[in-house]
Amino acid sequence: MNTSDSEEDSYNERSALVQCESPTIPSYHQDHDMSLPQETDTKRGRPVSSGLDEPGLVERERAATPDGEEEELTLKYGAKHVIMLFIPVTLCMVVVVATIKSVSFYTEKTSQQLIYTPFKEDPNSVGQRLLYSLLNTIVMISVIVVMTIILVVLYKYRCYKFIHGWLILSSLMLLFWFSFMYLGEVFKTYNVAMDYPTLAMIIWNFGVVGMICIHWKGPLRLQQAYLIVISALMALIFIKYLPEWSAWVILAAISIYDLIAVLCPKGPLRMLVETAQERNEPIFPALIYSSAMVWMVGMADSNNPDSADERQRNEGGALAQEGVESEDDVALGGRRRCSAEEDLEEDRGVKLGLGDFIFYSVLVGKAAANGGDWNTTLACFVAILIGLCLTLLLLAIFKKALPALPISITFGLVFYFSTDNLVRPFMDSLAAHQYYI
Amino acid sequence: MNLERIPNEEKLSLCRRYYLGGFAFLPFLWLVNVLWFFREAFLKPTYTEQLQIKSYVKKSALGLIVWVAVLTTWITIFQHFRAQWGEVGDYLSFTIPLGTA
Repeated sequence: MNTSDSEEDSYNERSALVQCESPTIPSYHQDHDMSLPQETDTKRGRPVSSGLDEPGLVERERAATPDGEEEELTLKYGAKHVIMLFIPVTLCMVVVVATIKSVSFYTEKTSQQLIYTPFKEDPNSVGQRLLYSLLNTIVMISVIVVMTIILVVLYKYRCYKFIHGWLILSSLMLLFWFSFMYLGEVFKTYNVAMDYPTLAMIIWNFGVVGMICIHWKGPLRLQQAYLIVISALMALIFIKYLPEWSAWVILAAISIYDLIAVLCPKGPLRMLVETAQERNEPIFPALIYSSAMVWMVGMADSNNPDSADERQRNEGGALAQEGVESEDDVALGGRRRCSAEEDLEEDRGVKLGLGDFIFYSVLVGKAAANGGDWNTTLACFVAILIGLCLTLLLLAIFKKALPALPISITFGLVFYFSTDNLVRPFMDSLAAHQYYI
Repeated sequence: MNLERIPNEEKLSLCRRYYLGGFAFLPFLWLVNVLWFFREAFLKPTYTEQLQIKSYVKKSALGLIVWVAVLTTWITIFQHFRAQWGEVGDYLSFTIPLGTA
């Protein structure tokens, strides 16, 4: 595939955005969710206390709603979120691994490389290969850093139109161009005859409905499905076009960058999240996967004097930005902190950035592509899920935006290299000697 | 986006937009419309806009069936006669299977 510069740019921006954003966002906006159980606790406290005469009893009543209950709610919500994120991450990885195993296109190494990894690795010399992969990584990371900073600056100065246009362009490219390539390769693999008119219909429908679901309004499940699909497509592109060693070094470097960018006070991603929270705005659509199933039953019925006000603000928020589910959620979530009667069943859900999906899938995809041993692939898969669990646990403890890449990628890399170099030869010689354990 | 929490007028407008959008060669959009608004249109207790939503869902379903019929016919014809069409067949083909005439 001859990639033109313009494609590269939007692709780069997309990947840069996604990478930066996701790490940012993967951070979950669980603070909204976390405030929920606390809210309901105090709400439950209030009716009880109002019914009591002695202030002393009131105090005790309030104190008696122990932290235990709050913790229990936190843990309950935490566990639910873990499951809610396991499924899409697993699906994305399954799609990528299935494609890698069946369609040979994505494992064929071409001499073409992305312009972000300009140094060609020479397979003969180890030292040179290592050096070039480090240089490639530096180039790629600096591109990403620059892109993130530009994005944050644009966001701070409220250049929303520009950002939206950029995002729309990159989703357009993903939904049309990359899926066209993907379909072509799948048809070639399965030796199916396909005609242009039918193909045009398929790509056109897929792309337009995708744009509508992601950037405008659509059913939640369909939006989630599209986000998973575009993450998988992007991961496949990375797997194909990143040179071998550079890919691993880039994965490691991205995790470190993620850690820095989200946790350091001056980190661009942290600033982005904080600015968005200050303005009570959702982070951009098309960059975040939202697992929320939110409904505002409480709002409609509540006697809360704030409700009318809040509802107005909600609608204002929803109309001002072309509401996508995630936007609505965050907008509503921001308001809901002060709402009174909320149905306990309302679940704000968690948000995970698309870049996280992409890099998890890249790791597992590369594990599947190299050597084709299922042990390694499964080991990486399990490692990533464990990392995700731990990250969510930390999120429940710290209650603020966290990077989702570092822990999972570290575990994944450790498991990949150790399984590849230690477990595989072990299993092979066990099998060769017909010794079953 | 959860249909539960948007007011009925917005639901109607959304259904209508999906219906109109489907005319741009987008049967998939009509399919999404039918599946998404099916419960709203047929399984919910009546409200004012429900009649119109029902009509849009029915019309989308009709359009969808027409498109499916057209596409199925075309695909069947193409797959069956592609080899016999010679040059035209090749011109129309995006991928040509290996190993057949």
